[in-house]
Amino acid sequence: MRPELADALSRLRDDLAGVRLGLELPGAARARAARDDVVGQIGDYLLPRLRQMDAPVLIVVGGSTGAGKSTIVNSLVGADVSAAGVLRPTTRGPALVCNPDDRRWFEDDRVLSRLPRRTGGSPAPGTLLLVPAPEVPSGLALLDSPDIDSVLATNRALATQLLAAADAWLFVTTAARYADAVPWEFLATARERGTALALVLNRVPDDAEREVTAHLQEMMRAERIDALLLVVAETQLADGRLPSSNLAPVRRWLDALAADAQARADLIRRTLTGALRSLPGRAGAVEGAAAEQLAAAADLRSEADLAYASARQEIEDALRSGSLLRGEVVARWHEVVGTGDFMRELQSRLASLRDRLAAAFTGRELPAEQLREAVEHRLEAVVRAAAERAAERTSLAWSERPAGRAFVESAPGLSRASDELRTETREQVRAWQGYVMDLVRKEGAARRTTARLASLGVNGAGFTVMLAVFASTGGLTGLEAVVAGGTSAVGTKLLEALLGDQAVRTLAARAREDLVERVDRILRDEAECFAGLLDDSVPDAQSIASLHAAIDAVRRAS
Amino acid sequence: MSRDLDRRLLALAEAVEVVEGRLEPDVVEPARRVVARAGARLGLGVEWTVVALAGPTGAGKSSLFNALSGGDTAAVGRRRPTTSEVHAATWGEASGPLLDWLEVKRRHHVDGDELHGLVLLDLPDFDSVETAHRLEVDRIVELADLLVWVVEPQKYADAALHDGYLRRLSTHGDAMALVLNQADLLSAGGAAGVRGDAARLLEEDGLHDPTVLVVSARTGAGLTELRALVAGRVAARDAATRRLWADAEAAARRLRRWCGDFRPAGVEEAERRQLVAALSEAAGVPRVVEAVGAAHRHRGALATGWPVVRWIRRMRPDPLRRLRLGRSAGDAERFGRTSLPPATDVQRAQIATAVRALADGASAGLPTPWPRLVRASVADEERILDRLDHAVGNARVEPSAPRWWRAASLVQRLLVLAAAVGALWIGLAGVAGSLRIEDVVPLPELAGAPIPTWLVLGGLALGLLLAFLARLVDNAGARRRQRGAERALRPGIEAVADELVVRPVERELAAHETLQRSLAVVAGRTSL
Repeated sequence: MRPELADALSRLRDDLAGVRLGLELPGAARARAARDDVVGQIGDYLLPRLRQMDAPVLIVVGGSTGAGKSTIVNSLVGADVSAAGVLRPTTRGPALVCNPDDRRWFEDDRVLSRLPRRTGGSPAPGTLLLVPAPEVPSGLALLDSPDIDSVLATNRALATQLLAAADAWLFVTTAARYADAVPWEFLATARERGTALALVLNRVPDDAEREVTAHLQEMMRAERIDALLLVVAETQLADGRLPSSNLAPVRRWLDALAADAQARADLIRRTLTGALRSLPGRAGAVEGAAAEQLAAAADLRSEADLAYASARQEIEDALRSGSLLRGEVVARWHEVVGTGDFMRELQSRLASLRDRLAAAFTGRELPAEQLREAVEHRLEAVVRAAAERAAERTSLAWSERPAGRAFVESAPGLSRASDELRTETREQVRAWQGYVMDLVRKEGAARRTTARLASLGVNGAGFTVMLAVFASTGGLTGLEAVVAGGTSAVGTKLLEALLGDQAVRTLAARAREDLVERVDRILRDEAECFAGLLDDSVPDAQSIASLHAAIDAVRRAS
Repeated sequence: MSRDLDRRLLALAEAVEVVEGRLEPDVVEPARRVVARAGARLGLGVEWTVVALAGPTGAGKSSLFNALSGGDTAAVGRRRPTTSEVHAATWGEASGPLLDWLEVKRRHHVDGDELHGLVLLDLPDFDSVETAHRLEVDRIVELADLLVWVVEPQKYADAALHDGYLRRLSTHGDAMALVLNQADLLSAGGAAGVRGDAARLLEEDGLHDPTVLVVSARTGAGLTELRALVAGRVAARDAATRRLWADAEAAARRLRRWCGDFRPAGVEEAERRQLVAALSEAAGVPRVVEAVGAAHRHRGALATGWPVVRWIRRMRPDPLRRLRLGRSAGDAERFGRTSLPPATDVQRAQIATAVRALADGASAGLPTPWPRLVRASVADEERILDRLDHAVGNARVEPSAPRWWRAASLVQRLLVLAAAVGALWIGLAGVAGSLRIEDVVPLPELAGAPIPTWLVLGGLALGLLLAFLARLVDNAGARRRQRGAERALRPGIEAVADELVVRPVERELAAHETLQRSLAVVAGRTSL
């Protein structure tokens, strides 16, 4: 017993068990089964066997439904361990038969720790029935397992688990079954893992023995199955048991094994070595699948990133093009700032007075409030449309990939922006406006602004800075937009002068930075709807690296 | 029966037409194959009954085939798998086209009137290591009219049979029977037990009241019942239609997953109104309406304003002309686009959001992929914007000039003339006075002031007053014309909304409803 090997195996088991394979890639189900298989085999077989090399040989009797596994076990033991019958599948729970002296090896949870032990009664699913029988030679234990190919999927899973825990397989097939596809898949597994194997060809009619045996041997050669072939003829059962003459080949094999401690040790060593040798490859396949999942997740993530990056670009373009200034924004700005030609000024003064009165009596909003809302609505519309488009684009790209389709189909809301987007955007835009006002107030107090800007008051200056954010980088195009906004020539002149003002430009640059940052935050939250799905179901690079190291450690230690 | 089948197949074909291009090809293809297969099979004649013996290797399909056809044409052996090619026995005159369609090469003719019209197929196994056999079985399982699953006591509970075939064919109970062969290996009680257990498994597969026969090809027990079952189907000559019926129903059931039972309410008027409002906003309707009012006031001022200063106004452009709007319908076509500022990202965003809201509202409650289809059916923002621009350009928004403008204009001129006359008069009187020529220019008085003074002051004051009053009236007129322009623009916007958004959405919803209806017909839940 090498302690470093046991350590390496425990580590490999833990690392494998922690590998998430949640993406529905082709082959993912197989990889998950392989992972569980390796985890099970390390815990159920390799660790206990390494710890106690002198424990009895565990021979698992497995095979097709109706092949006569239980009949063979009952006949060998001379007792009704497991009910045999004509209704399929007959056996639904495992039963372990051993010499009463060997019982102590199987009573604790050394092997098959996930199956609670039971004594007495008949086998039941989910438990392991322990049957002490003096007929079984000391040093051997027989485990009657459920079938591998009936409609009961739980039987199949249990049989797979039991076979992975075996020192040797006594694999039972029949003259009617020997060419079935499912048993040969199991035999191929045994070959790959180097499991010691004896094949029982049961229920062979007298007239067919030669033909069927020859064909089966031919198939075994073609499939490179190295196993002892034991032929049991079809016969009338006497009291549910096979006559000992029919069963002689099987009993001879078992007796020889029981008599020869060296042969037992060789058999144990052979299966153990085979299993250890197969381990890096099998775990490597899981690692490969995990890496594939990681790559697929990265691909999905990059699709989302791409979509949201282009949403960000879209919003920036909208900010830059000055399109947010069109229409009522500039007009409202004039109302707020109240500048322009003489008539306009007069009008706006009167209008402002009228508005104040109206606001006082009817609760209608003041121009500043209206301008604030106009800016807010515009920004919100742009951000929302961009986020919606990004969500749609991402979900479409995902649904074109096998790994992403499952997510999109299970969450139809994924193709739309999140429900919180609206309020979130509104809040951020408001916070930004507050930030701009604060900025202007602070700069004004520090007398870092020009007289022209200061003359507009905090509100007017704040809104001017906002306008400048939407027009500044656009330069000419921004101004064109303002002109197209239909303001009077004098108003335009003033605005042009203001936009050219160095203080306004500096403030606008900072306001713009803040706005872009807020937009980024909103889009990041939106993209998180997609990224969050991936985080929960995909292995991280670190766990894959750790798994790789664990596999290497096992390879070195064994 | 046959007419009812025709109706269902037509409905299924209609459903296939709807889902074509809308659902994934791997969903559409099986349904389309059912329609095509039904057409082909019906064309080959329902008087033939194709019975296939299918089963795992070693169950005794070939032995049964030989027992039924009374020969030893099918090879029987111990070596597994034994049969590797489909083998046919036909009762009655040659059925070449049908066998060609089944792609069966090994054919065998059986004399005998009792089973006239029967085509019996012996299939390879589906569970051996030979995967080619399984493919051949899969092919024939789709085509045969009656599937007789032959099993034996060892294999009747195999996953390969139940998970591989029977569960999938749970709608085809009418076109299937299970035969438990090799009953001679069981005791009488055992055979009854296995028969009951097999029936239980079939029920678990979803087959109701399944037919299970216990036979032994070796001893001949139960063969009479099997023969009677087959003969009954052959005589009824309805096995083919029953099979196709079940096929159509199964196809409909699979498709129903993609359309659900929910029937959407369609596009609601409130949603449509919101869309029209958003499109109006994006199309610049408020700006046009504003311009109409401004143009009216501008023209009114030109016509009725105080002539002394109205020439200043002449230097300003007409607000409506500046947008290249007004004049007459069809201008937009001549000039291409209007001069409304090109659509902005904000407008595009507004349109996108409004359109999405309408599509999502209309398709709420539908299973995937319908919400996506509904959304995709709508024209893109660029096209909508283009059409909106045309709609605005083609609307008659030109404000009419009121008739009183001309009269007012005349009065203004007369007033100016009066003032001018008065001024001239006073001027002349002044000149005459300064030349000390009295009484050449008379200055008659009226109400204590000279008439020319009246003329000057009255002309100027009345002119200003008239201009002021006209402006008040024009302001009211402008508001009225703005409302008129809004009314004139609305139908165009509504037409764009309907044509590019509402109707495509409704078309998709109608397609969904057609699918639902035709699937209901296939399932026999309603009649057409």
